[in-house]
Amino acid sequence: MDWTPGTRRSSAIRREQNLALIGAVVTGAVIATGLILLLFARVNPTGASRLRGVMLDLLTPVWSVVRAPFDGVGRAIDAGSDYIGAVDRAERLAAELAAARAEIQRAAADRLALAQLRRIAAVREPGRRLIVTTRIVSATAGSVARTALVGAGARNGVTTNLPVIGADGLIGRTVEAGNWSARVLLLTDPASRIPVTIVRTGQAALVVGVNGPRLELRDRVGADLPLRVGDRLLTSGDGGVFPPGLPVGTIVSAAEPAQVRPAATPVGAAYVRIEAAWLPLPEAAVAAVPESTTPVPTEALRSGARPRPVLPPAAPIR
Amino acid sequence: MIGDTPPWRLLAPDERSRYWRSQWRLGVPGLSVLLLIFLMTAPLLVPVPVFPHLALLGVFVWASFQPGLMPPWLAFALGLVADLAFAQPLGLDGTLFALAAATARLAGARQGQPSGLFDWRLAIFLVLGFELGAWALMDLAGRSVPLLPLAWQLLTTIAAYPLVVAFCAVLQRRSFGRGLVR
Repeated sequence: MDWTPGTRRSSAIRREQNLALIGAVVTGAVIATGLILLLFARVNPTGASRLRGVMLDLLTPVWSVVRAPFDGVGRAIDAGSDYIGAVDRAERLAAELAAARAEIQRAAADRLALAQLRRIAAVREPGRRLIVTTRIVSATAGSVARTALVGAGARNGVTTNLPVIGADGLIGRTVEAGNWSARVLLLTDPASRIPVTIVRTGQAALVVGVNGPRLELRDRVGADLPLRVGDRLLTSGDGGVFPPGLPVGTIVSAAEPAQVRPAATPVGAAYVRIEAAWLPLPEAAVAAVPESTTPVPTEALRSGARPRPVLPPAAPIR
Repeated sequence: MIGDTPPWRLLAPDERSRYWRSQWRLGVPGLSVLLLIFLMTAPLLVPVPVFPHLALLGVFVWASFQPGLMPPWLAFALGLVADLAFAQPLGLDGTLFALAAATARLAGARQGQPSGLFDWRLAIFLVLGFELGAWALMDLAGRSVPLLPLAWQLLTTIAAYPLVVAFCAVLQRRSFGRGLVR
């Protein structure tokens, strides 16, 4: 009986096949690991904070050095254009100063009246405290997250969940802090939620980022009252992170959801102020507040904001 | 290992040190992708994700040029660095970079030598898949983002592909010549 042995794989082919199999297994393992990491990130969004802080401290100094010559060129161009347009600007500023003087007089009277009313009502209001003034060093223009890096960190007193304020209004809040640098979540990031008050109507709402140049106004209290284009939005102080009264934006489209143009854009925002959280609470007080009864939006709680404490009743008016 | 080297025991001490010094080029693909990640953190403050995803292109191009030096596990590690640098949920770019490297290897194994037009078409497909994947995985990580603004990055990334290929090709020529490193 004729018998022929089956074809045997050569050792080279066998080696190639084994390597391909191992490669496929390793690829599957790393992809599975990535998915597990993402699920961990869902449960614990602030995980790996130390690693993230180290990364900030690596990136920020390098960009500070790299951008230095460009900053110098930019300053030289600014100085040149300032010199050329000096006369026009002086005339414009003189006109603005005249209008501002009248406004200052009215504001001084209002401030005096407000101080008297607060004294009468025994209003206790925490003050704002500047932690550091620093500059934006870097950004993440190529990522799904809209963040910027600033050149001050834990050694300067910067922690997470602090308001970051530009010359024209709110820029965002800190979300990560390294030793010498911190990351700012910009208003335009989809994870950003800013409790605001509409100046004209006094309604409370949330301003939400959508990864675009505009913001959206959501969860407005009293939505039957129509909005108007040009309505100004200020921070309400709810949530305890942002001090009240900071400009956030202006309504540019009243159709639902209303579109908001940010008051301050980080484009070209050289320097920003990082202030202490408006109303941070001691941990014990936070633990005592049942989560379901707090007036703070769920997103704000998730981001680490704390509810306002219940203030003692005001003294009776005599 | 680059070139044919005699067994380790037969090398003289100075030959051994020369051998180790010659191994730096094995890190060129990884280091160049790290450089591209760093470039992506440029202080360009725009409200939409308009900056091209250079690191993704770097991973794809190196996985085509030198599949042995850009395995999926290395792409995964580089993706984790990108996640830390871009404030993304840990594992987002890690997963997608590993998938991109695996796709490029698979396509390279089927197609053979890299060819410009085929690679560009594959890159377009890959970047489209990356943006859709990022959108879905952000949802999985509990940080939903709108899909439409990611179209900006899709367009700029496709446009930036020839630049990244040119950059990687220069490194490839200077570090490895025309050969593959296994």
